Amino acid sequence: MPSDISPPFAAPTAEPASTLRLQFRRFRKNRLAMASVYLLTLIVLMCFFGPMFFPFTGEDADFDNIGAPVNLFSIHPFGTDDYGRDLFIRVLEGGQVSLTIGFLGALVAGGIGVLYGAAAGYVGGRLDGFMMRLVEVLYGFPYVILVILLSLLFGGGTVSLFAAIVFTLWLTPAVIVRAQAQSLAQREFIQAARAGGMTGGRIVLQHIVPNCVSVVIVYGSLLVPEVILSESFLSFLGIGVKEPQASWGNLIQVGTSAMSTDLRLLLLPGGLLATVLFCLNFIADGLRDAFDPNDR
Amino acid sequence: MLRFIGKRLWNGALTLAALVTLTFFVMRLAPGGPFSRNRKISKEVQANIEAAFHLDEPVIQQFGRFVWRLLHFDLGPSTRFRDYSVNDLIASGLPYSLTIGFWAMVVATFVGIALGILGALRRNGMTDYVAGTIGVIGIAIPIFVIGPVAQAYFALHLGWLPVGGMGAGWKSWVLPVLVLALPNIAYISRLTRTSMIETMRENYVRTARAKGIGGRRVLLKHTLKGALLPVVAYLGPATAAIITGSVLIETVFALPGIGRHFVDAALNRDYPLVTGITLLYGGIVILFNIGTDVLRAWMDPRLRHA
Amino acid sequence: MTVDRMTQSNPEPLLSLRDLSVRFRMEGGRTVAVDSVDLDLAPGEVLGIVGESGSGKSQILYALMGLLASNGEARGEACFDGQDLFTLSPRLLDRVRGSEISMIFQDPMTSLNPFMRVGDQLAEGLIVHQGMSKDAAKAEAVRMLDRVRIPDAASRARRYPHEFSGGMRQRVMIAMALLARPKLLLADEPTTALDVTIQAQVLDLMAELGRETGTAIILVTHDLGVVARLCDRVMVLYGGRVMEEAQAEALFDTPSHPYTKGLLAAMPRLETELTPRLGTIPGTPRSAGREVAGCPFVARCEVRLPICTTARPTLRGVAGLEPSRRTACHLTGAPA
Repeated sequence: MPSDISPPFAAPTAEPASTLRLQFRRFRKNRLAMASVYLLTLIVLMCFFGPMFFPFTGEDADFDNIGAPVNLFSIHPFGTDDYGRDLFIRVLEGGQVSLTIGFLGALVAGGIGVLYGAAAGYVGGRLDGFMMRLVEVLYGFPYVILVILLSLLFGGGTVSLFAAIVFTLWLTPAVIVRAQAQSLAQREFIQAARAGGMTGGRIVLQHIVPNCVSVVIVYGSLLVPEVILSESFLSFLGIGVKEPQASWGNLIQVGTSAMSTDLRLLLLPGGLLATVLFCLNFIADGLRDAFDPNDR
Repeated sequence: MLRFIGKRLWNGALTLAALVTLTFFVMRLAPGGPFSRNRKISKEVQANIEAAFHLDEPVIQQFGRFVWRLLHFDLGPSTRFRDYSVNDLIASGLPYSLTIGFWAMVVATFVGIALGILGALRRNGMTDYVAGTIGVIGIAIPIFVIGPVAQAYFALHLGWLPVGGMGAGWKSWVLPVLVLALPNIAYISRLTRTSMIETMRENYVRTARAKGIGGRRVLLKHTLKGALLPVVAYLGPATAAIITGSVLIETVFALPGIGRHFVDAALNRDYPLVTGITLLYGGIVILFNIGTDVLRAWMDPRLRHA
Repeated sequence: MTVDRMTQSNPEPLLSLRDLSVRFRMEGGRTVAVDSVDLDLAPGEVLGIVGESGSGKSQILYALMGLLASNGEARGEACFDGQDLFTLSPRLLDRVRGSEISMIFQDPMTSLNPFMRVGDQLAEGLIVHQGMSKDAAKAEAVRMLDRVRIPDAASRARRYPHEFSGGMRQRVMIAMALLARPKLLLADEPTTALDVTIQAQVLDLMAELGRETGTAIILVTHDLGVVARLCDRVMVLYGGRVMEEAQAEALFDTPSHPYTKGLLAAMPRLETELTPRLGTIPGTPRSAGREVAGCPFVARCEVRLPICTTARPTLRGVAGLEPSRRTACHLTGAPA
């Protein structure tokens, strides 16, 4: 004798656009995350515009001031290295490289992952099985090996480093978006779109991808620090960005070898890298809390 | 359960075969050979060397030779360290990498799980705060920054521990192990905390509480197992990652492990050594993944029939 | 006041709630889920609490069991067998929970521990509460599984919950709840998650075993059919407040509150075969929220008066109806 009394009363449906706005409002209330946004913006601006205010670049050697110490009121506020290159400018220029690779890498890897995952999740069946099998095999490779082999394959240097990082980091977003797309594909509005004669590609682009936005934002924000970390890690090992071009990774490597005599060569790039990673992690946490308030 | 393990092993073997093939051809496609940069060598010498390493044969034949040797666990001679075989180099370096990785994981697992559970039980309490701070530091500061800073402070400034190398007995291990453990403490404590909180909200835990069996029993008998499943799932791959990623810690602390060999080999295009270590790493990863799957299935009856 | 109510109802109530309120701290302030509910339950009585989702009906049970969410708080008095459940220490509460009061939850699929053999989950309570040996407790568990008609109970007890169907899991839950022969069984929508075909079977089993053990039952449901089938008495809840309270038969014959009338009109009946369409109550259910001055149902009530928005109707007897009837509506006259 089923006599459920709920059905006669219709529940109001939420509008997705306003949800997104609500989530960003919730994010703005998170002080730590907002402070991180401001600090990160400041660092990014400093890295890209700071060097303009100095009459030399990071590769110019100042032979009158070799190994100059920290003196905030001199022309070399954080001193120079053994070649007379200004340390501050080098760290800022290194930041340009690291940050560009970080954001661009996350964008490209995220983009590939989203499209791949959305397609696999929506189409399903045998194609999905094959696509995910491939991801699984790639996942099986040790990350370090994959990056090193790939950067070997692409010939070394900055471009190959970038390719290697993207190639290894698109997997996680693909898996996450696929799971999302899979559940979306079962939903009524997708069925309706299909019944209405919409093609698969358009459904993926117009319905699946937009509905994965919040997942993508949350995991995308985690991807940026991961890419930056990979870059500096490989450059630290001497596989990535190579001297004389600076990046935080190879600057830290130089700093490590000079550690016993001069700590600032290590602390300046290391500290800046750590600060950026802190900020990005706090932002990612803030986004996750704002988008998924249950997960606390 | 036996069928389950068998299936996993078969899948692992397939992945390993794919890895063998891929590695071999990547090595061949990569630009530059081990001796091509050395222009002082005359053509005949070059040809002799290539013949000695069978680089003059067709690729397919090389591949066949490679697989045949592999089946006899012979990874061939190193092209960079002339007097050593790849087996020798692995045998000399692997124990260090394994030992550091093992102890780092032991420390990380115990500390991480303890912090995570305490944090979840007393949310926003002191332990939770401490664990959160360690978590943020461990995740945000890479070990090639924290390692040198620790060296500068504990070794150079305080003089308690050696800066690097293996010459000081157990003291040599302390810094590398702790530095390597730190990021994993961070991940494991976070994972444990989240998973504990989620599990405490599970309906079956509510059922257990409704049975009036006492808080301690609810925690030990009903909450912990479910809460630790994701942690166990993380441990296997993480241990594999710590061993295969040992190059960083070995570079920072100047340890004679296998990771440094690997990067040097890659930079010097020492094909046999790169191949050998890649396969070794691949095997380690596969083995740990299988181990994790088996352990999870043992813990979770729902997975046994998968 | 508490005292003369107690002496009035005969026999002495097993459970009596006085002015029970449940509140939740939320982001935007406080939410009242249950608003000053009084209730008396006699030993062996079966009471149905009916209401839409969000009416606070389940929260009453959670409050009694000390299982409210961490941001929830119960106020008032819950006198069970001479002790106030709300003032008991966790340790003393654990002596009552699972031995004198048991609970059956809404979702049998997730309410059993997936990592523990079914038999062990059943035996656990006996081991802890009655100090039974493991073997004796397990034997008892198997006997109980047999009584809830789990086929091949002895081998089934060694299996894990995922190897059971939904209906079987709920029967396991019933077995677990009744194993300790509790004086009071709380059932929170025990059949909502089950297939329609086995709902009746599970409910009948619960009632039958309850009768055998002399267990009183509070059955929370939104299904009036279930109430009609099993309950002695019914309490209708809306927006956390009691709207009407009566013997089950009387309530179905002559509902007096406008909300109860609406509910009954929305319920399909076999007798009135080809009714053109089921009744509906206009508007959306008022979920728990801030305290209101007037009647919580006022926004959807078709017979409201101006006073309904300003003054809260009290629960009282109704003129012309049986003496046990109580209704909270300004429109129903007071008893003569």
